[in-house]
Amino acid sequence: MKSYKILPIWRIERLKGGYFVLWIEDTELAAQCRPGQFCELKAPQGIPRLFKPISVFDVIQDRVAFFIKTVGAGTNALSVMREGDLLQVIGPLGTSFPIPNNKSIVLVSGGVGYPPLAFLKKHLPSSNQVRFLHGGACADDVFPCDECFTVDGSAGIKAFVTEGFMRLIETRHVDLVLSCGPVPMLKALSAICKANGIKHFASLEAYMACGVGVCHGCAVGVGSKGDYQRVCVEGPVFDADDLNWELM
Amino acid sequence: MNRLKTRLGKLHFESPVTVASGTFGTEYFDFFDQRILGAYVSKTITYEPKAGNPPPRLYETEAGLINSIGLQNPGIDVFIKSSLPELREKLYIPLVVSFSGSSITEFCAMLEMLEISEGIDGYEVNVSCPNVENEGIAFGTDPDTVFELTQKLSAITNKELIIKLSPNVSDIATIAIAAEAGGASSLALINTLFGMAIDIETGKSRIKKGVGGYSGTGIKPVALALTYKAARAVKIPILAMGGIYTWQDALEFFYAGASMIALGTANFINPIAAAEAHHGLDVYLAQRDLRLKDIVGKVNG
Ligand SMILES: Cc1cc2nc3c(=O)[nH]c(=O)nc-3n(C[C@H](O)[C@H](O)[C@H](O)COP(=O)(O)OP(=O)(O)OC[C@H]3O[C@@H](n4cnc5c(N)ncnc54)[C@H](O)[C@@H]3O)c2cc1C
Ligand SMILES: Cc1cc2nc3c(=O)[nH]c(=O)nc-3n(C[C@H](O)[C@H](O)[C@H](O)COP(=O)(O)O)c2cc1C
Ligand code: FES
Repeated sequence: MKSYKILPIWRIERLKGGYFVLWIEDTELAAQCRPGQFCELKAPQGIPRLFKPISVFDVIQDRVAFFIKTVGAGTNALSVMREGDLLQVIGPLGTSFPIPNNKSIVLVSGGVGYPPLAFLKKHLPSSNQVRFLHGGACADDVFPCDECFTVDGSAGIKAFVTEGFMRLIETRHVDLVLSCGPVPMLKALSAICKANGIKHFASLEAYMACGVGVCHGCAVGVGSKGDYQRVCVEGPVFDADDLNWELM
Repeated sequence: MNRLKTRLGKLHFESPVTVASGTFGTEYFDFFDQRILGAYVSKTITYEPKAGNPPPRLYETEAGLINSIGLQNPGIDVFIKSSLPELREKLYIPLVVSFSGSSITEFCAMLEMLEISEGIDGYEVNVSCPNVENEGIAFGTDPDTVFELTQKLSAITNKELIIKLSPNVSDIATIAIAAEAGGASSLALINTLFGMAIDIETGKSRIKKGVGGYSGTGIKPVALALTYKAARAVKIPILAMGGIYTWQDALEFFYAGASMIALGTANFINPIAAAEAHHGLDVYLAQRDLRLKDIVGKVNG
């Protein structure tokens, strides 16, 4: 069950390019978080602001980590917090990735889509064959994975991660793709998977107000009838075949 | 002694704190005891199911939130068959059902269906939607339409009939008087204001629909002024909302003339805002040895 807690920051690690990792300690939360799920986080601020949805990046014993990119007011407020400062946390929220056995799996992430897949990779049973592809705009956006891609060529291979994925499936059989990243990337990946008969689950991002399912603000298009579902409850992980990419 | 007891027309409540339609669900009862709420106001239902508006539907501004949910809901049939029994199962507090129609006939048909359903204590009539019979002008902006609609609805029910007014009008007092004359037992105000934000990188509106509904901190002074004006114009009680985040905000609305208040956007900012408001009001009144009714409408000057 989700809970609302105010927890001290156990550790904060600053990384390159405005990225940082924020750790909190909570036995109950740590026991519940599954790969793909997220928490709503908020730093105490002068003016009242919304919580920010952030994926679970890691769980080690009683500790939960979040891997965050500073992009605007909310993430900026989180980035200036210090160890011991109190953080407001609602979670864990949303659906999780499927955890299969004996499959050939490719994880594909773009930008801040990295954290949920890095967490998932740790959880996938060793009976699976797993390859983790990650792409970003530049060297600052890439993190440990099996193969990385940058748009400007400053690290890894100069290409979109989706191009890297196309090349990979030419040489290797793939049963399942699990992905997270910006909508254009997921849309392109979805088209490739569909054309090649590969099962694909994508984790989506959406602007959120409540994060718990009451406001319907985080809607994404599903099916062909112009219907919407909530990223915070029915997602963030969706079967990509169910999504209506034209409505994104 | 419960200093916080209050009343809206026909209903008595243990707490003057409630929640604004569309901004709350039983999901929040994971975070606090529902009994601190006087009542539960459900999200507006419409006759037909509504898929809602295309995303993005939300944008947070410097002072509040813009939304264009588009009244996404499963329609009255599904509400009555599944949502209502589920709600009644979970609630220990009175239930106020919010509904909206696209014509007076549709509003009346909906009320008749709700009247024969179990477990509803009162209604909040959302008149902020476009009136198909009146060239798409929102019901709530025309006093004659508000009068006619309220009169027809009050003939159908003996339960609490709250008419929820739009702030997007030139004179709230005229609309409030029309609702009272039509037989409303109380008023709720305010619904969202029109709001917009533009991404200067792309030149696009932050909300797919262009203009959305603006709520939260920035609308509090407007909501307070409209509550004050409406309270002076009518005798029926007022359920006020608009930018109420704390017990201090709530007190301003009671002084301005509200008998009950609702938290909307505040629930998203602080999921236990309602519990904190309830506690803060209780302490404030106890310290002064006052009851809520001693301060309602007692703004000085
Ligand atoms: C389920 C989920 C999991 C997420 N996990 C992570 C994570 O692990 N690490 C991480 O760094 N970020 C993650 N995000 C994205 C993160 O929530 C947003 O970057 C953050 O909300 C931006 O808030 P802000 O106040 O800093 O920026 P704002 O000032 O709100 O916005 C800055 C810019 O980012 C855009 N933006 C804001 N919110 C979103 C959003 N939710 N989706 C897409 N664009 C947005 C705005 O339009 C604007 O252009 C996740 C989002 C979701 C929905
Ligand atoms: C996301 C969202 C959804 C809303 N949905 C409804 C609704 O379904 N029916 C309604 O009458 N008002 C709706 N409102 C308006 C609120 O009930 C309330 O009148 C308004 O937000 C002002 O209060 P606040 O500033 O405390 O949020 C909605 C507001 C928001 C922010
Ligand atoms: S963010 Fe409110 S329903 Fe998803």
